[in-house]
Amino acid sequence: MTGRALAGLALSGPLVRPVLAVVLAFALASILIVLSGKNPLVAYAALARGAFGSWDRAAVGLNRATPYLLAGVGVALCFRARVINIGGEGQIALGGLAATWAALHLAGAPAVVLPLAALAAGAAAGGLWAALAAVIRLRRGVHEVLVTLLLNFVGVLIVSEMLQGDLGEPGAGFPQSPLLPRVAWLPRLVPGTDLHAGIVFAVAVLVVAHVVLWRTPFGFRLRILGCSPAAAAYAGVAPARAFLSVMLVSGALAGLAGGVEVLGVHYRLIEGFSHGFGFNAVAIALLAGLNPLAVLPAGLFFGFLETGALAMQRAVGVPSPLLAVIQGLTMVFVLCAMGLRAARPRA
Amino acid sequence: MLRMYGITKSYGSVRANRGIDLVVPPRRIVGLLGENGSGKTTLMNILFGMVRPDAGTISVHDRSLVRHSPREAIAAGIGMIHQHFMLVPAMSVTENVMLGWEAAGRWLRPAGIAAQIRTASAAYGLDLDPDALVGTLPLGLQQRVEIVKAILRGAELLILDEPTSSLSPPEVAGLLAILRRLREEGRSVIFISHKLGEILEVCDEVVVLRDGVMVGRADVGTITREQLARMMIDRDVGASLPPERAAFGAERLVVADLAAVDMEGVERLRGVSFSVRAGEVLALAGVDGNGQNELADCIGGLAHPMRGRVFVDGTDVTEGGVRARLAAGLRHVPADRRSTGLVGEMTVAENLALRDVATPPLRRGLWLDVAAMSEVAARRMAQFDIRATDSGVSAATLSGGNQQKIVLARELASGPGVLLAVQPTRGLDPGATQFVIDQILALRAAGAAVLYISTELEEALTVADRLGVMYRGRLVGVMRRHEVDLTRIGLMMAGALAETPDAAALYGVGA
Repeated sequence: MTGRALAGLALSGPLVRPVLAVVLAFALASILIVLSGKNPLVAYAALARGAFGSWDRAAVGLNRATPYLLAGVGVALCFRARVINIGGEGQIALGGLAATWAALHLAGAPAVVLPLAALAAGAAAGGLWAALAAVIRLRRGVHEVLVTLLLNFVGVLIVSEMLQGDLGEPGAGFPQSPLLPRVAWLPRLVPGTDLHAGIVFAVAVLVVAHVVLWRTPFGFRLRILGCSPAAAAYAGVAPARAFLSVMLVSGALAGLAGGVEVLGVHYRLIEGFSHGFGFNAVAIALLAGLNPLAVLPAGLFFGFLETGALAMQRAVGVPSPLLAVIQGLTMVFVLCAMGLRAARPRA
Repeated sequence: MLRMYGITKSYGSVRANRGIDLVVPPRRIVGLLGENGSGKTTLMNILFGMVRPDAGTISVHDRSLVRHSPREAIAAGIGMIHQHFMLVPAMSVTENVMLGWEAAGRWLRPAGIAAQIRTASAAYGLDLDPDALVGTLPLGLQQRVEIVKAILRGAELLILDEPTSSLSPPEVAGLLAILRRLREEGRSVIFISHKLGEILEVCDEVVVLRDGVMVGRADVGTITREQLARMMIDRDVGASLPPERAAFGAERLVVADLAAVDMEGVERLRGVSFSVRAGEVLALAGVDGNGQNELADCIGGLAHPMRGRVFVDGTDVTEGGVRARLAAGLRHVPADRRSTGLVGEMTVAENLALRDVATPPLRRGLWLDVAAMSEVAARRMAQFDIRATDSGVSAATLSGGNQQKIVLARELASGPGVLLAVQPTRGLDPGATQFVIDQILALRAAGAAVLYISTELEEALTVADRLGVMYRGRLVGVMRRHEVDLTRIGLMMAGALAETPDAAALYGVGA
């Protein structure tokens, strides 16, 4: 391929809009940095060092991105079917809770089985929580946006309640569970860093989701449903069943994300451990254009941005909430680009 | 009053308009005739300021329009009535007229506008009630709302795009009368149509487009139907009347006492029974909105009937939904191509596979066989002459005729035992219409039972072995083709003739 062809691909390819959105977000954010009296180039250099400066930093970023990848791909599948599941927060929280409970109560299980059983429990809890929302939607006709949103609060509060009660660590002074048994921890991938096996798992899930969406009758039906409910009915898609299945899958992936976070990073359940994850997952799915494989760069971007922003605050004194500004601006630009694409008249 | 010279417009390699000249004098109705994709819509979109031409000049009343917007087109006295109405169903006629109209004033005065609507309605014979909710009006009256909107906005030149495609015969007659009144009042009309009969009936002159070029213009008095048809498609279109059969095979589709309600709970289908035999086409005519949609949805599995049964080759599929019907060998060409029969965002290959991914060869175990899908697509595209650069482009980029060919290819190619075809030629040009009819007749020759639902009487007569008329949710009168009496059918469609005993005897099954 010649350079010109490559340039043409880069200009017209699917990556242009998200990348442009990110660049614009950073450009606008640098104005804010200038206004706060700092040099944006210095700040961004610190951010890059914080994100990629060492193997250890990169490992932290990858760990950070792992739950985003899992929950984000679940949201992408839902949105593909035009099912608006914004209940990731609660599903992640309950997934973490169930994984913790399983790890503490099945402590006698063999070493390999225990983390897998705990992750399975997390996936089951997240899936059931989403399925509850789906049933309320299907039975009572309450829109899933409302139900999933409100169940987030319930889910997060259930975790707090459990940590105040049976599951809490006595005398810790902070709502958290006791440390999980070592056999339940996810194995480290690279010795000397914190990188755990979750990232491999998450990438595998993305590939599976891609295959399911594009290479199975189930994924085909989800895509029809997302494009036109009338055509889906005509194609013989049972909408209630499809709705329930995709909610179950996406809830399970969110639950898995919660389990991975607990078993791979904290080794215990901590109140508020999932704060903001569910909404970041929605943002990542949109940034990825609802393509499972594109969730990988989108999720990594969010993960590295967060670890980098913390380092930037320490090194330069630019407040880390700026990262929320960058994330927000990126989303605004991506959504604008999507809107432009939809508004462009067909030739 | 309108002069367009040398209008040229290309979309990529497709030259939609090539140096078209169109002149519309005052007090004239000019017919614009052409197949789908011949450039009519592009030309009109250029005139109305929705598309910029690559070259050419436009002037209205000797004032030139350059790079104009639709708003400027309206100000210049052009009114466009689209095939799909731009109305808000939940608003009244008056509110729809005021919507987006600056002359309605900063403070809305509905009473004044309503009076204007009444005056215009009386002057042009529109018969419109300004207070009626648009959503409750039949399509014919909704179209008149569009007409009154254009008139009150001062349109000297009205463009009507396929205005008769969703109208019943009496509504068409009413529309043509309105167009003549508009001409008497000094306005001009551009009448875009596929239908030669209507063009010859109402137009003063006709302009024919083919492949983006103006291939002819003539005063209507000096040209025959056959000459026009030849100009448009450059070949003869003859009505094909297949030989009538003396005997048919076994009953393949049986409908017994089917009744259904609509979303508001109004009974739209009130106990319809009939059967269709192998090798037979039963055509159901009738004015749109007399229960045809509900009947088709219940048979096709898109809606649940309130009572009654549907049998396909002896299997009761009433409760089985779409999948049971597919398994029993019933295929369905739905009326609504844009959102039901086709998914515009998906590719041609995916649309050709839309209803068959649950079974081999497209399904292989857990997997969707993508290779088989594109292989099937290539075969169907060749077989049905679907024109697309390849099967991977999205269906929305194809012309209406090619989109309909996708639906037909998917539903017909498997050689189904029973076919339910609802308005399969809607919006198609004569060549494509003939193609559809040929395909359906080939299926009939192969021993399928075909239920053909159409509001185009002429077309229903072309394919029918038996013809029935739907009126107010009932099947009133079924007759063999050789017994067909047009006057009687007309009366039945208008509800002036009740069901007769000899018709009931022809139903095939008892209710």
